[in-house]
Amino acid sequence: MFRPAQAISTVHEITALQYALEKQGRRPIVLIEKPVMANGKVSDIPVVCNLTASRALVAKALGINDHRSAAPIYAKKTGNPISPKIVSAKDAPVQEIVLEGASVDLGIIPALKQHNFDPGAYLTAAHATTYDPDTGVDNTAIQRCWVKGKSRMSYYPYPASHNNRNMRKFWAKGQNCPVVFWIGHHPAVLMGTQAKLGYPESHWSACGGLIGEPLRLVPSRTFGDKIMVPADAEIVIEGYAPKDVLEADGPFGEYTGYSGPQVAAPVFDVTCITMRKNAIYHDYGSGLTDMLVPDNMAMEGKVYGLVKAVAPSLTNVHVPAQGRRFHAYMQFSKPGPGEVRDGLTAALAYRRLKMVIAVDDDIDLFDDSEMMFALATRVQWSRDSFTIDGLSGSLLDPSTAAGAKTLSKMAIDATFPLPPSPGAPSPVPPRSTVPTSAMAAAAKILEGADMSAWPTL
Amino acid sequence: MSKPNIENIPAGASWEKTGNTSWTQCPGCKGWFHVGPGILNRPEVKLHCPHCSKDFAQADAARIIRAG
Repeated sequence: MFRPAQAISTVHEITALQYALEKQGRRPIVLIEKPVMANGKVSDIPVVCNLTASRALVAKALGINDHRSAAPIYAKKTGNPISPKIVSAKDAPVQEIVLEGASVDLGIIPALKQHNFDPGAYLTAAHATTYDPDTGVDNTAIQRCWVKGKSRMSYYPYPASHNNRNMRKFWAKGQNCPVVFWIGHHPAVLMGTQAKLGYPESHWSACGGLIGEPLRLVPSRTFGDKIMVPADAEIVIEGYAPKDVLEADGPFGEYTGYSGPQVAAPVFDVTCITMRKNAIYHDYGSGLTDMLVPDNMAMEGKVYGLVKAVAPSLTNVHVPAQGRRFHAYMQFSKPGPGEVRDGLTAALAYRRLKMVIAVDDDIDLFDDSEMMFALATRVQWSRDSFTIDGLSGSLLDPSTAAGAKTLSKMAIDATFPLPPSPGAPSPVPPRSTVPTSAMAAAAKILEGADMSAWPTL
Repeated sequence: MSKPNIENIPAGASWEKTGNTSWTQCPGCKGWFHVGPGILNRPEVKLHCPHCSKDFAQADAARIIRAG
């Protein structure tokens, strides 16, 4: 963990620190103990960021030894949900401090203004929990919140999201929509909220599956057991989205690495803030690795489950952060006839993906130079790639046509043909390699050598 | 019918890249910022300049360059 001693501004400086770390390929958790807010005051609440920038650390938080095996394990864990457990307020650290009425002040939270064009300070790791008024089933998703005053924010439930659907249902009934935002928890719980579920379907059990025990929930102060909140969260903000009230929100730096446009977004009036006595404020660097990694690892689990159902020879999936959420690499071992294309087609149907590549099990999915090697040597483009237009996808993709509602997607089969009969070699040249013993000897020669002045490019 | 302050980028052939982002110029500081189609379709929602924090109606924008 990196704990800089100096005071650092929440206006761009913390985010700049994350960019600087990313440029160096370093992914420590960062704890800012003296965050300076826009008004010049040092917040009593420290900021933690980069919490989930490292795949290795996120895998460890999930109890997985090697991040490379996260996809099948995540799929298995979320496929074995564990129901949550309800605790009383006295056993809920997140309700140790309660601010209601005139005491409510969002200004105590050291929210960051991250990027140029962001109009102000945003909560970026606020998990919005709402419920379907018809069934009572809750939903949780990360939603950005622009802090606009002591007790007012705007937030942006993406139009296709389940939280937006719940809000529209309340508004259609002539009611304000109850919403609770909660911030900060164990990374495995944060990833459980990223599980891709149907509607209406609660995320709490998926969180339990990931942490291997029931998630502890406590009734919210404002809504009681209609909206539960994680008892071990750091900060909770409760309130309502008033019916049909929309205000400008954004522009806002998005996961795509571009600044998303200003939108008409619901506002949120705060009724209550609760927090731990020594609360830590969690920030995701929007579009930075710490935001992409947990979501992408959750996607890997989802894509693994989807594709495995039609292509049993699938062995692994990687959704690389450098592809935002648009690319997936899939690995197959001895696929049957048609199986790779079946798998590629199934993966393209997953809304977020735009390009999928299938490779053999000798290719390291987590090494882009290996992926490029496969593309360079195992693909004839007219034979091995196909595109499908008109599939659902992210309209935040800057390359889409104006007014488009769907995307054009591409699949690439970068696998080699199988041997013609069992025991026979594949009808392709073997890779150039050297004996394992020679590689071990080479590693010994390099041990202890001072490499600091050696060029890397 | 476009308002005088709105300029529409003409659509090209399907193989031509035309971009998908509309931009607005603040009537106060003259700074440019990007806006989504949803908010441009709601003239009752005031735009907010991220540069100078001015709120203004679409009709009062110095310019709007609309994609699509």
